Amino acid sequence: MVQNFTLLIPLFPLLAFAIIALLTRSRNRLSAWIAILGVILALALSLGVFLEALAEGAELAVNPFYGAPIVWYPYGTATVNFGWLVDPMGSAMLFMVPTVCLMIFIYSVAYMRHSHTGKDGHTIHEDDPRYARFFALISLFTGSMLLLVISSNLLQFFIAWEIMGFCSYALIGFWSFRGLKEHHIDDAQVGRARAASIKAFLTTRVGDVLLMTGMILLFITVGTLDFTQMFSPDGLNNMLLGEPPIGALQWPTLIALLIFGGTVAKSAQFPLHIWLPDAMEGPTPVSALIHAATMVSAGIFLVIRMYPLFVFDSQTGGFSMQTVALIGGFTAIFAAVLGLAQNDIKRVLAFSTVSQLGYMLAALGIGAFVAGSFHLITHAFFKALLFLAAGAVIHAVGTNDMLKMGGLWRKMPITFLTFLIGALALMGIFPFAGFWSKDEILLEALRLGFFSESGAAPLVQFVFISLATAAFITALYTGRQLFLTFFGKPRDQHFYDHAHESPVTIWVPLAILALFTTVIGFWNTPFAPAFTGYVGEAGLVGLPVPFEHHAFDQLALISIFVSLGIAFGGLFVAYFIYGFRPVGAGQPDPLERLGIIYRALASKFWLDELYGYKINLDGTARAGLLVRFVGLLSRFSYWFDRTIVDGLVNLVGWFGRIMARLWGWFDKHVIDAIVNGSGSVTGEIAGWWRTMQTGNVQNYALIAVAGAMAFAILFLLRSFT
Amino acid sequence: MINDIPLNYFLSLAAALFCIGLFGSLARKNAIAVLMGIELMLNAVNINLVAFWRYGSPDPILNQAGIVFALFVITLAAAEAAIGLALVIAIYRSRDTVNVEEINLLKW
Amino acid sequence: MLSAITFLPLLGAIIILFLPNDNAIKRFAILWSIIPLALATVAWVVFPTWPEFTMMNGSWCSPEINAASLEYYLGECIPWIPALGIQYHVGIDGISMPLIWLTTLLTTLSLFYSARNISTRVKEFFALFLLLETGMLGVFVSLDLFLFYIFWEIGLVPMYFLIGIWGHEQDRPQYAAIKFFLYTLAGSVFMLLAIIALYLFSTPNTFDIPLLTATRDNSVWAKDVLISTAAFIGFFLAFAIKMPLFPFHTWLPDAHTAAPTAGSVVLAGILLKLGGYGFIRILLPMFPGTFNSFAIGIGALAVISIVYGSLVAMAQTDFKRLVAYSSVNHMGFVVLGFAAAAALTNEQLINPELGNYFNSGATAINGAVLAMFTHGVITGGLFFLVGMLYERTHTRELAQFGGFMATVPIYGGLLLLTAFASLGLPGLAGFVGEFLVLRGSYTTLTLLTFIAVIGVIFTAAYFLWRVVQKVLLGKADEKWVNLPDLRGYEVLTLVPLAVLMIVIGIYPNWILDTINAATEVILKTMASV
Repeated sequence: MVQNFTLLIPLFPLLAFAIIALLTRSRNRLSAWIAILGVILALALSLGVFLEALAEGAELAVNPFYGAPIVWYPYGTATVNFGWLVDPMGSAMLFMVPTVCLMIFIYSVAYMRHSHTGKDGHTIHEDDPRYARFFALISLFTGSMLLLVISSNLLQFFIAWEIMGFCSYALIGFWSFRGLKEHHIDDAQVGRARAASIKAFLTTRVGDVLLMTGMILLFITVGTLDFTQMFSPDGLNNMLLGEPPIGALQWPTLIALLIFGGTVAKSAQFPLHIWLPDAMEGPTPVSALIHAATMVSAGIFLVIRMYPLFVFDSQTGGFSMQTVALIGGFTAIFAAVLGLAQNDIKRVLAFSTVSQLGYMLAALGIGAFVAGSFHLITHAFFKALLFLAAGAVIHAVGTNDMLKMGGLWRKMPITFLTFLIGALALMGIFPFAGFWSKDEILLEALRLGFFSESGAAPLVQFVFISLATAAFITALYTGRQLFLTFFGKPRDQHFYDHAHESPVTIWVPLAILALFTTVIGFWNTPFAPAFTGYVGEAGLVGLPVPFEHHAFDQLALISIFVSLGIAFGGLFVAYFIYGFRPVGAGQPDPLERLGIIYRALASKFWLDELYGYKINLDGTARAGLLVRFVGLLSRFSYWFDRTIVDGLVNLVGWFGRIMARLWGWFDKHVIDAIVNGSGSVTGEIAGWWRTMQTGNVQNYALIAVAGAMAFAILFLLRSFT
Repeated sequence: MINDIPLNYFLSLAAALFCIGLFGSLARKNAIAVLMGIELMLNAVNINLVAFWRYGSPDPILNQAGIVFALFVITLAAAEAAIGLALVIAIYRSRDTVNVEEINLLKW
Repeated sequence: MLSAITFLPLLGAIIILFLPNDNAIKRFAILWSIIPLALATVAWVVFPTWPEFTMMNGSWCSPEINAASLEYYLGECIPWIPALGIQYHVGIDGISMPLIWLTTLLTTLSLFYSARNISTRVKEFFALFLLLETGMLGVFVSLDLFLFYIFWEIGLVPMYFLIGIWGHEQDRPQYAAIKFFLYTLAGSVFMLLAIIALYLFSTPNTFDIPLLTATRDNSVWAKDVLISTAAFIGFFLAFAIKMPLFPFHTWLPDAHTAAPTAGSVVLAGILLKLGGYGFIRILLPMFPGTFNSFAIGIGALAVISIVYGSLVAMAQTDFKRLVAYSSVNHMGFVVLGFAAAAALTNEQLINPELGNYFNSGATAINGAVLAMFTHGVITGGLFFLVGMLYERTHTRELAQFGGFMATVPIYGGLLLLTAFASLGLPGLAGFVGEFLVLRGSYTTLTLLTFIAVIGVIFTAAYFLWRVVQKVLLGKADEKWVNLPDLRGYEVLTLVPLAVLMIVIGIYPNWILDTINAATEVILKTMASV
């Protein structure tokens, strides 16, 4: 019966946020513990729900845990209600999100302490001045992520989604301001963080607006935003009732694409991926939490939540799923290629995240629902692990630049080992999590593209080729990262000397995540597809099962070898370039021999210059063409406002004044002349007459009495006669 | 018993009083005295009113307009005295005199 | 009850004239202004029991009027100038209730804040402010057009003096005050003409809003296209100028910039709402047909206000002027909501078979009214924040600021909250109204709404780019090293607003419930059978 308390899950971290923000913000350690306590309580409750959900098994897909008791607002005769909804995939998220969050929270306790050398030469450890603020924000974030996972209503989902966006903004810009006494951050960093945070918020805002539009249209055509009501057979059919909006585009396609627009921005898919690499300006736990494990995958979760809509659309002849597959497939390879030319250890991972999210979308787009969902879960674990390990390296070394590292495995073996596990998982090497989920995706693409009973599908074939190539490049850049960071000789002795093994509160979360990375893949192996049975067996709420499930067959075996071959191939090439003959100190990256191609990669195909915001290392930022156009438009509007619109108003005023002056002249010299003429005549008379006014009241009174007497006498005389 | 006194007596008294008041308000130089004169005139009127009520009304118990008027006049007199005195004081403060002949601000 | 709420401030203003010294005046004014606030709160709390307080008990008016105003509560009606059929007729519904409450709240907060910041001509300031409150409350409670007009004009005069006398010297307060006064007066002249036209062409001749609405379909003024169109335009001009709607908005930046802080707060928080209130109280129920034929045009003006307002705001270098233009941007949403509701045809309103148009219209109106309320809260807060910054730095140039998140964290946190509430972050108040308006408008004004949505992006852009980035982020400058953070009384001024922003954002039902009850009634009266 834990399910009835589902709504309380997000409450704990949100409460922690409120407590820290209002009460304990000046007490660092206490704030951290409150935040962690909040996550632990949320985790406990989530696990309770998760276990209860597991006990339900595949039955849960038909009868999810659901309740919508909170009236959020009334409109006319109806109401919009909020509540909770836990279906199989939702329960899997309930397991993944708080677990990863807890690890990252614990990790942050030590990570947010900085060490620097004091005046007397001793190393000083001290908390970041915004320690409590950090924990408040990530608590708020965790709460809204959990709220998103359990939302029963798309509007509720959207609210949580946007609050996460705010947290992301605030945390990317965590170092975007600097007081006079804060010397641990330099001005370039402030500038970068400031520009990056705004870039992130505004780019995702574009997607949010699309999502909101899609949501509203959905509300109008279906009549509800409640997931269970929306995905009832009647609900979706309602969409076909009205006139199609634009030409041949049918409502489901339009709405699905608009909603997908939200995903494109939030999950940093092409062409709105530009914000995520710059988002690495935030503290590393934030990159792990928000920009790898949870928030960006919330975009994928949106597609998973709305999957019945996409399926419905494709069943009624729309092309929204194809679009998803196309964008996902393209982004997977596009971002992987860009990841090759990055020297910042976190940016490589950022591009890798973009690429892996593309994987998931491609899988969802071709109909491999389970494979995409499973990759979402596994990716969260190993990418969080990679980020945290990278953060540990940065923390120990003091730089992000991989070309200044090298040979670090001797100095920090535990960190190296955990990073290695994460990297192998990312490459897709047996038996780590990424292998199982990525192989599943490739298998489905292979099966649907080349061996489908309904004939070959060119789009799926493209997706397969692009994903397979991306897998190769993934192995390549991950290998490059490994070799540059941990192997070879130190390229910068100063940083190398500075390096040290991470403290225990940092490596324990790493180890736990590494453990998960190792075992979680076995939840869904081709031989024992437990996850498939749980999440995908019964199909989706109220819709016919769109998935075909295959027992383990030859094709699966082939696919295992293909994907392993690709991964090892990439790793081998990486070894050939970076491991066999390590890059020496001061040497350029061997890739630079590619010339213009390398420059294109390093500057991310100049997309920032086109429609984004180019942020330089020194903290200056340059607006792209589109942004500059808006700026120009804004200045023009202001000029228009001052000169034309207000000018007209002032013109009327001026005209009024001129008229008034004309009238004034007329008044003075014509009308007033007449008046004055009569006035002066009167004045003459009055001048003579006024001598009566002595100013003495008694005189006046005397005259009054005399008058009264005169009347009295008159009256008496009359009465006598 | 009071009915033994004829109405004329009252009227004469009132007329006398009124004339004294009138004279005072017209002839005295001191503003306070002028005010006192006005009060006398008002009281003369009061006497008239009450007398006419007592003698002129067919049913003095039911028809009490006369004394009500008198009460109004008394109230008014009190208010008038207060305002008048306040004015006199204000004038004294600004012009250092209460001699009405010197107070001729209303002069053209 | 309503008369007490409305006229208590006036009584307070009169009492203030007799108080001897400045401190007594300040203390008295603050305490006194709490009384209407408390009364309004009580009225709202007992809202569910309103039907028991219909005006039948205390009315001296004709039975027709009583019958027509059954849906208005806490009513009072006394013949005032019987020869012309003018009544002192007041009454409220779920739409005026939140606005009345907001008026009393913002007045109290403004007085509280001003007590520390106004040192010249204290007596006049506080007396005028309370007079202003009476004027604004009067508009919200009036159910008689004549009364409505009188209160409408009463509000102008104190505001004129507030801007002119206590305005910032460098911002040409006299020019701004005159502009504000004349512009608004020009609008209300048209309204007066329209009111007189309604009076002349109604049978029986009346100024009574409920009666006019009830007899609409049988009256000459509504049947004659020329008269109803002319009257509609007259009202519309008055309200559009007050809102302000593009292209009638240019008085607003000048007036806001020049006004003293408390003046700006009330100007943005309440005075602009009078226009919106006119739309919902007069234009929608009384001219549904005419409004319907103008709906697309007015909707287009609203959308221009939204997009254009946000673009112009983006170009500002003066903090206060930016906030002023953001009002143009936000009030556009209000008008859009009303236009969307007006765009519903009679068929759509009465025929449930056609789909959920009725509920869409209700959503649009609910959203517009809520947007008015939240805009009052949020922009009121923003003007307070601008004022507090100006008190400290004596400049409003955005380029002069920077890094305040680090140097004055409490101020920074509150500004961040308010800015995000204003740009419509879900979970905070601004979003709810905006979402409801968009949700309601997509049904009828699809294309226009889509353009309006672009304005949402620009809104986020200017708040982040101009306000948050310039003021809060970046490197702290040496010259603000001794900048004091917010003092207790300033925090106390802002906290009620901040709480409202969060509470409405998280759980708007408590306020929308009130509004929705009245919205349904209005939509039903819009339909002619």
